[in-house]
Amino acid sequence: MAEAVSAVTPTRMELLKLRQRVSLAQKGHDLLREKMDALVIEFFEVLKKIGDAKSAALNQLSLAYRALSVCSAVMGTIETRQASREAKRELEIEISTRHIMGIVVPTLEVEELKRNALSRGYSLHTTSSVLDDASKEFEKALGLLVKLAELEESANAIARELEGTKRRVNALEYILIPRLKATIKFIEMRLDEMERENFSRLKRIKAMLEARE
Amino acid sequence: MNVDRILKFELNKLNVHLPKRRISLKEALESTRPQVATRDGSVHRFKREELDFLAGLVPEIDRGRLQLPILIALDPKFGRGAARITGEAEVIAISQILGKKSTGGELLIYRPDVAIIRRKLPTTTQYLFMPG
Amino acid sequence: MSFKVAVIGDVDTTTGFALAGAQYVHVHIDKNGTLSKLGELLADKEIGLVLITHRIAEELGAEFRMTIRKKGLLPIVLRIPDKTGYTPKVDELYNLIKRTVGAEIVVRAEGG
Repeated sequence: MAEAVSAVTPTRMELLKLRQRVSLAQKGHDLLREKMDALVIEFFEVLKKIGDAKSAALNQLSLAYRALSVCSAVMGTIETRQASREAKRELEIEISTRHIMGIVVPTLEVEELKRNALSRGYSLHTTSSVLDDASKEFEKALGLLVKLAELEESANAIARELEGTKRRVNALEYILIPRLKATIKFIEMRLDEMERENFSRLKRIKAMLEARE
Repeated sequence: MNVDRILKFELNKLNVHLPKRRISLKEALESTRPQVATRDGSVHRFKREELDFLAGLVPEIDRGRLQLPILIALDPKFGRGAARITGEAEVIAISQILGKKSTGGELLIYRPDVAIIRRKLPTTTQYLFMPG
Repeated sequence: MSFKVAVIGDVDTTTGFALAGAQYVHVHIDKNGTLSKLGELLADKEIGLVLITHRIAEELGAEFRMTIRKKGLLPIVLRIPDKTGYTPKVDELYNLIKRTVGAEIVVRAEGG
């Protein structure tokens, strides 16, 4: 295969430099490939977790919607909406970061507020337990959705890094290293050639000198 | 060609997610915000459920010795997909998870094991790339 | 750091999440109103998570996708079904897997 050979002066110095470069490139390639393999593991781990997290969250969410319609049916739609306006809306999520091999990914945790009817905020005398049920179901749903959001962001970040790493591994394996090796071979050949030419030149000179005598 | 520079840059970047200083499991358990500062100036947070899980695996005396994050060392010299865990307390914890017998301060594990560890301890373990 | 939660949805979705404690809720009425509200929420540094229903996200169309692409790390935007359970046919996760590791792997991933 005719690899692109870089234009380079065929000297021993150059050969040495190239050999060092190939060694570095090979080392880099192997390390990046370890990273790529590890990223693939991470990717599939997250995907598996997403599968479970998504079905759990969506199931809970439909339970929550159902609890809400029960609430509207029992209490009345207007009263339910009024209660939602009166509710204490102080939910907070703690967002930090974690690292996976050079990728920064968010971590999300719902601050555990065990809210009972009193701390939820709406006035008790006009409400009934169905409102509490609906609130609880939506709180649970929110907790699961927060987990899902974290996983989906992670999946996207990992995918992006994986694509980039794969490109670099391939560039090293299929373009850079073969090119370096071809150039090395070319220089070795040229150096051999030059040495042979030199050798035969010396022989001729010697023969000439001997002929003079 | 500045390929060498690019390569050196890439290789340096490989470990930039690692913490400047690790903390012990004991320290993490006692903290309200269990985390470490990373070399690139960011923060890496440990999940509480993982800390509790680790505490269950390791006797109390070792909790002060177990350094977090547990490092999964990757070196092409080990062979593709192989990794090494070092540290006595760390080896105890990992061996328990994998159902292996722990002997001494070093453990060599293979790709399927690495997947299991990362699944159980996503924030309390980190990859370490050895330049080799 | 602590952040707040915002929800964009129909009346029922917003009522439900308000009961759960979400600070900001926006009832979707018209496309422009909601798009500008979305912009506000994305720019608000106190908000860490925005929930929006699939139905509304679809209605907002290309502008929604563009706005999402331009946003910073936070807030995170998550699409959820409304009470009808509607989810779009295009599964973005499936496409992500296909793009990243190839189509045959998708089958394996789904099979577990």
